[in-house]
Amino acid sequence: MKRRVAVRQYKVPFLPEKRIEDQAELLLAEWAESHLAVSEPPVPIEDILELHLELAFIVADLQTELGHRDVLGGIWFGDRMIKVDQSLDPSIAPKLLGRYRFTLAHEVGHWRLHRQHLMDDPSAKSLFEANCEPAFVQRSGANPPEEIQANAFAACALMPRQLVYDAWSQWRDSDKPVAISDLPVGDYHADRQANEKMAMDQFSKPLAERFEVSAQAMRYRLQKLELLVKKVQPRLF
Amino acid sequence: MADPRKTFGDLLRATRVAKGHSLRKFAEMADMSPTYLSQVEQGKVERAPTAERVRTVAELLGQNADEWIALAGRVADDLTDIIKNEPQAMPALLRAVKGLTADELRELTEQIRDQQKDGGKE
Repeated sequence: MKRRVAVRQYKVPFLPEKRIEDQAELLLAEWAESHLAVSEPPVPIEDILELHLELAFIVADLQTELGHRDVLGGIWFGDRMIKVDQSLDPSIAPKLLGRYRFTLAHEVGHWRLHRQHLMDDPSAKSLFEANCEPAFVQRSGANPPEEIQANAFAACALMPRQLVYDAWSQWRDSDKPVAISDLPVGDYHADRQANEKMAMDQFSKPLAERFEVSAQAMRYRLQKLELLVKKVQPRLF
Repeated sequence: MADPRKTFGDLLRATRVAKGHSLRKFAEMADMSPTYLSQVEQGKVERAPTAERVRTVAELLGQNADEWIALAGRVADDLTDIIKNEPQAMPALLRAVKGLTADELRELTEQIRDQQKDGGKE
């Protein structure tokens, strides 16, 4: 019978989005200090992980190792190790480069947002020993609070606010937001929302490629930064 | 000289990171997939990478290819050919020099090279 690693779910405290973004910015500032400031995309998250945080990075058959078919990545605090599932290997599936980088940045998010908290938790002591169990396992479709926080961290680290604004104005030749109603929304799905999402992903593609993230991740970020909006609010001036 | 206690995979990973290459970037440079490079670094490959592959990797990282090929548990293709071409004399020579220190071997190599140079002049 195949081994299944049961991953205990550790509770993490609520973190406001601003705090998560600050943490991502702080990591980039550290990288600028130790290596080179990131003045344009893509953010070298793989270099940051291995060269700055000095974590071991492994691409492996994690789905077999952990016995779950939907595993994308995981982090082992005691072994200072991040693993990404080989199904995301971009040399085999170049289209997945964005997801590969996002998964990796997500695990870095756990390292920066949650490690200290668990270090202070006596019940999590075993996570900091060698040959430990993974502290967090990222599975597609699952989104408990700690996973949402790590996703937010990944988005802010790979698509830093200022870099997105700069790339946007360069691309659009304006800093004005774009309304969904101005996009060519097709009629592929029964519901309007799904069609809108498709149109927004299509629109986000050029920026997504520059930042080496998926179109979906870029769409979320553009919406969060209010560059892609439901309706353009009239400006007073 | 590499630390003999380290496995080839450990040494490869440590040298790669010290040279400032991420896993994916270096895999691309060495024309392999990140998954395969990751397996080599963990010593999880069924067969050690070929001597030619190890040579590429060592040269990219500015390391001695022969040493790395040996560490990876391989023998360079040209060495296999050298022995095959002189199936009696070459093993006899290797057995004869077995036990000499690295310095003595270097000195001997120099002497042979000098002899060959002189021979070439005639």
